[in-house]
Amino acid sequence: MNAPTIEYAELAPLITIFGAAVIGVLIEAFVPRKVRHPVQVAVALLALVAALVQVILLAGTGMVAAVGAVAVDGPALFLQGTILVLAIISVAFFAERRLEAGGDAFAPAASTLPGSEEERILVRERMLQTEVYPLALFAVGGMLLFPAANDLLMLFIALEVMSLPLYLLCGMARRRRLLSQEAALKYFLLGAFSSAIFLFGMAFVYGYAGTLRFGEISEALTANIGQDGILLAGVGLMAVGLLFKVGAVPFHSWTPDVYQGAPTPVTGFMAACTKLAAFGAMVRLFYVAFGGMRTDWQPMLWAVAIATMLVGAVVALTQTDIKRMLAYSSIAHAGFVLTAMVAADQTATAAILFYLATYGIATLGAFAVVTLVRDSGGEATHLAKWAGLGRRSPVLAATFALFLLAFAGIPLTSGFVGKLSVFTAAIDGGAAPLVVVGVIASAIAAFFYVRVIVLMFFSDPAPEGPTVAVPSLWTAVGITLGAAATLLLGIVPGPLLDLAQQASLFVR
Amino acid sequence: MNPTNYLVLSVILFSIGAAGVLVRRNALVAFMSVELMLNAANLAFVTFARMHGNLDGQIVAFFVMVVAAAEVVVGLAIIVTIFRTRRSASVDDASLLKL
Amino acid sequence: MTSTLSALATAVATEGGHGGGQAVAEATGVFDLTWLLIAFPLLGAAILLLGGRRTDKVGHLIGCGASIASFVMGVVLFAAMLGEPSDGRAFTSQLWEYVNAGGYTVDVSLLLDQLSISFVLLITGVGSLIHVYSIGYMEHDERRRRFFGYLNLFVAAMLLLVLAADYLVLFIGWEGVGLASYLLIGFWQHKNSAAVAAKKAFVVNRVGDMGMVLAMSSMVLVFGSTAFDVVFASAEGASTGWVTAIGLFLLLGACGKSAQFPLQSWLLDAMEGPTPVSALIHAATMVTAGVYLIVRSAAIYDLAPDARTAVVIVGAITLLMGAIIGCAKDDIKKALAGSTMSQIGYMTLAAGLGPAGYAFAIFHLLTHGFFKANMFLGAGSVMHGMHDEVNMRRYGGLRIAMPVTFITFAMGYLAIIGIPPFAGYFSKDKIIEAAFADNWITGLATLLGAGITAFYMTRLMLMTFFGNRRWKQSEPPHESPSVMTAPLWALAFLSVVGGFALLYFGAGIVDWLAPVTGEEHHELPMPLWLLITITLATVVAGVAVAWLMYGRRAVREDVPAGSPLTVAARNDLYGDAFNEAVFMRPGQYLTRSLVYFENRGVDGAVVGTATAFGGLSSRLRRLQTGFVRSYAVTMLGGVGVVVLAMLVVRLP
Repeated sequence: MNAPTIEYAELAPLITIFGAAVIGVLIEAFVPRKVRHPVQVAVALLALVAALVQVILLAGTGMVAAVGAVAVDGPALFLQGTILVLAIISVAFFAERRLEAGGDAFAPAASTLPGSEEERILVRERMLQTEVYPLALFAVGGMLLFPAANDLLMLFIALEVMSLPLYLLCGMARRRRLLSQEAALKYFLLGAFSSAIFLFGMAFVYGYAGTLRFGEISEALTANIGQDGILLAGVGLMAVGLLFKVGAVPFHSWTPDVYQGAPTPVTGFMAACTKLAAFGAMVRLFYVAFGGMRTDWQPMLWAVAIATMLVGAVVALTQTDIKRMLAYSSIAHAGFVLTAMVAADQTATAAILFYLATYGIATLGAFAVVTLVRDSGGEATHLAKWAGLGRRSPVLAATFALFLLAFAGIPLTSGFVGKLSVFTAAIDGGAAPLVVVGVIASAIAAFFYVRVIVLMFFSDPAPEGPTVAVPSLWTAVGITLGAAATLLLGIVPGPLLDLAQQASLFVR
Repeated sequence: MNPTNYLVLSVILFSIGAAGVLVRRNALVAFMSVELMLNAANLAFVTFARMHGNLDGQIVAFFVMVVAAAEVVVGLAIIVTIFRTRRSASVDDASLLKL
Repeated sequence: MTSTLSALATAVATEGGHGGGQAVAEATGVFDLTWLLIAFPLLGAAILLLGGRRTDKVGHLIGCGASIASFVMGVVLFAAMLGEPSDGRAFTSQLWEYVNAGGYTVDVSLLLDQLSISFVLLITGVGSLIHVYSIGYMEHDERRRRFFGYLNLFVAAMLLLVLAADYLVLFIGWEGVGLASYLLIGFWQHKNSAAVAAKKAFVVNRVGDMGMVLAMSSMVLVFGSTAFDVVFASAEGASTGWVTAIGLFLLLGACGKSAQFPLQSWLLDAMEGPTPVSALIHAATMVTAGVYLIVRSAAIYDLAPDARTAVVIVGAITLLMGAIIGCAKDDIKKALAGSTMSQIGYMTLAAGLGPAGYAFAIFHLLTHGFFKANMFLGAGSVMHGMHDEVNMRRYGGLRIAMPVTFITFAMGYLAIIGIPPFAGYFSKDKIIEAAFADNWITGLATLLGAGITAFYMTRLMLMTFFGNRRWKQSEPPHESPSVMTAPLWALAFLSVVGGFALLYFGAGIVDWLAPVTGEEHHELPMPLWLLITITLATVVAGVAVAWLMYGRRAVREDVPAGSPLTVAARNDLYGDAFNEAVFMRPGQYLTRSLVYFENRGVDGAVVGTATAFGGLSSRLRRLQTGFVRSYAVTMLGGVGVVVLAMLVVRLP
């Protein structure tokens, strides 16, 4: 019997991240508490940058590694690179310590009771939570693996490795801990529920095809061995699990609650990176494994896409909390990506890759801006408090406006080009009615984005309005990078579009 | 061996689990119901593995057990924290985030 | 379907572009540097806005330098263009590919032809003068650097607008102009009225933008492209219905930007900005964007007579409305704003007449650019001397205190009312001729407009520069510094000779523009000399009536009650009320739940909205109960739907 060969070089980014995460756990155990924070941040950033370099060096690879379990190809590497870039910026936001007096966005110890003496002591001693960094690294590892997974088992493992740390991260907010814990509970229960549904669907697909490999499943579909009921149910249940992760209607209910309750840097991280990873996995699964039965799943995705776009845009209209509004906006964006997914061809893949990258950057930036607008109770997330922000802090408000315009898809921002590419991909793929719905939803969505801009610039500041905190260099650089990328990709999107085009071929 | 029986059992277990999530207020019980759903899937995997005569499904079952264990660790941590805060493990009490 | 269409369109495009009939060549040599026109002011804006306080000292010089550099570049290009044969003066230069998504490609490329160079020279020329003037006018403003940054941004956006070779790129410039104008109108944001005016301009312009977006969407749908060459080349193949629809959508866009009926209301309020801004926005540039859009889209309007009729009607209504409003305003800037509306109405009307009128629309646009900028800057000079007083009932007899301002203003005055041989006579007379040649009603409207113009402009002159002194200040008003009067002289000179020069210099503007706009001549229903005589008689009558009312009698300082028409005109002919009923009220219904900050109750406002989306939204919102178990139910329901949807598809 031959031992299987593992392509360590091609898997290097994954190994780096998981290795660093394990080292992070060891640091928790062995490094003195005083120096733990800088060490953890340094390890996390180093690992992420190293992994990013490795991904860039791998560019152009197209192969299946680890005995067929992991694909190293264009879409995987493109998404991995994007996720790593976003994760680097996220870690910078995690490490922000100037907003809370001497603390970061996380509770000093998540296990202490909110309002207890124990918590007060820890706050007074300026204790910092450092577990977030290894947790974030594990989550990033899962996210890197998710869009690269090339068999069902790896897909499930990646899903769980990605989700479990996120459940915990959601519950660790320093302020409003009750809400944060509730968010964690909701995310966990519903996430576990959806994972179980996903797994059950996986069982059916395995039962139909007798294999876990995507490529072999695809072959089994062509062979057409009958018993389609099992297959269809299996594909449907698996779709549910993935649609849950991307926040598509009707599996979206967790999104607003969790986005609102989680610590804002985590929300940004989650909103940007999870969606990327989940869409990457979904596109690979549906194009590579289930591509042969697209006529079966396309109508289902049509319905989901329409519902997602409309519900996301319409419900966002009446939101009064900025984080919830962004959550619904992220739901609507999931719908826009789904329109292109329906097309199921290489153009669509390229459009999705581009859209996800631009969306991720803008989302991360927008949530980072939210962390800066504060009053005595922490972040001032109620929209009414944002009134007149443009007069008080024009630069910050203009930056936020830029992100909102990108979400709305206004020309000269990256969002416009992204939307244009997914919609044209959908039209070319024969889904013109979906695009009509998409345009209507965009118009509705534009309304609530513009409303926030109007609120910031045209209305009088609230008398006891929030102040805009001055962030550390890290956050400032992160937001500036996000804004610059959003603008630049709106003016000269060509290079990234070309890159996405080149990276849009799946290995089979 | 008739695999259909096993599959029907697995579907029944899955449905019981799903129903449990929907009707039980206690977070722990709801979570146990999710575990039941995972195990229903395990049963289906093993059945199919037997049917196809390969080991893939059984391997999946082992992995799922490990994942379920990890999930218990995370889940219990979250549920215990929220129980200590609120003195209640009812999922209906945790409904501040809404609309 | 779309992809076949776009393939067809691309095939047409490669054969050679169309700019209203003339071949468009790939830009070479100096024409390849067209992008510099935009780059100069854009760079200036970047330096001034991003440079921070370090550039405070030299900010105004950088701003002026950028604008003048652009003007020089424009002159060079113009000279180079004169060296080319008359049917080979259109050049495109592709800068980069903006989007290439599926079948839809947008290139960022610039189109330099006779039409765009005319605008380039107007924008940069008048723009530079306004820059220079602003050095003096804004001298005591501590945010002068930022002001110049916005001015540069405005010039850059406007140049992009007129140089774009694709509707989408044009739209980017269009929005940029809107943004800059919003920033400039609201520049003195400590004045509440300025903030409100900026807000109004913002909202009304969004209505116009809807027209642009709809027009572009239709183009993508029908032609698979928004590039000028493709759209114009394939317009003939499209159904009349679509072409008319596109024409009407474009008209809506033009109405928003050019303050045409029914979207005119923002312009009068926009006078809250610093005066040079008003001049820049009105005279030189922004409001003419709509006329440019219509003339540029000649190929579409030529195929859609119904859309053209709509343009004529809009133009006629606006020209009369603006003139009537101008008669009743006591605020010098608002009177000029009403006049601007009216003059743009002339241009729109001319543009609606088709090939017979396009060239005259542009001709009037250019001369109007000269004399209206002249008068706005003159009004600014008066205000500068009068401590920012704008009420003409407090002026009087200023011709002695401010002789330069008076003389230059008088040149503009004679030009606008159309006294030969001043600039306005040539251009306006041509429009009146073309209007009569088309039909009697439009002809009479333009004639009546000319009479009213003479009336309100004479009124303005008399109230400001003649009659008894009504100002209260102790020391007499002073003449403005030479940095402000020099641009006035320049513009006054252009107001005098501009019309004659443009019409008769070389082959004249009509022949110059003919390759782009086409040419057509209609027979007049009466001899030309008779029409000119009637026109001049009308003008003289208008002047005489004004003199009887304001020259012979002393002007009262308090506001007389006035006739119902006067009252209506003072209220902008209820344009605001109209807008409120048609745009604001439904908008407010929609926004009541959304823009809740205008409401007292924050969350309460969300409930009980009447609109479809607002109501639907709050209803859907209630599904988000906060209970995990109900979410799980939704999900399980979703599972059922998804699995069913999968299975149903397989049913035979």
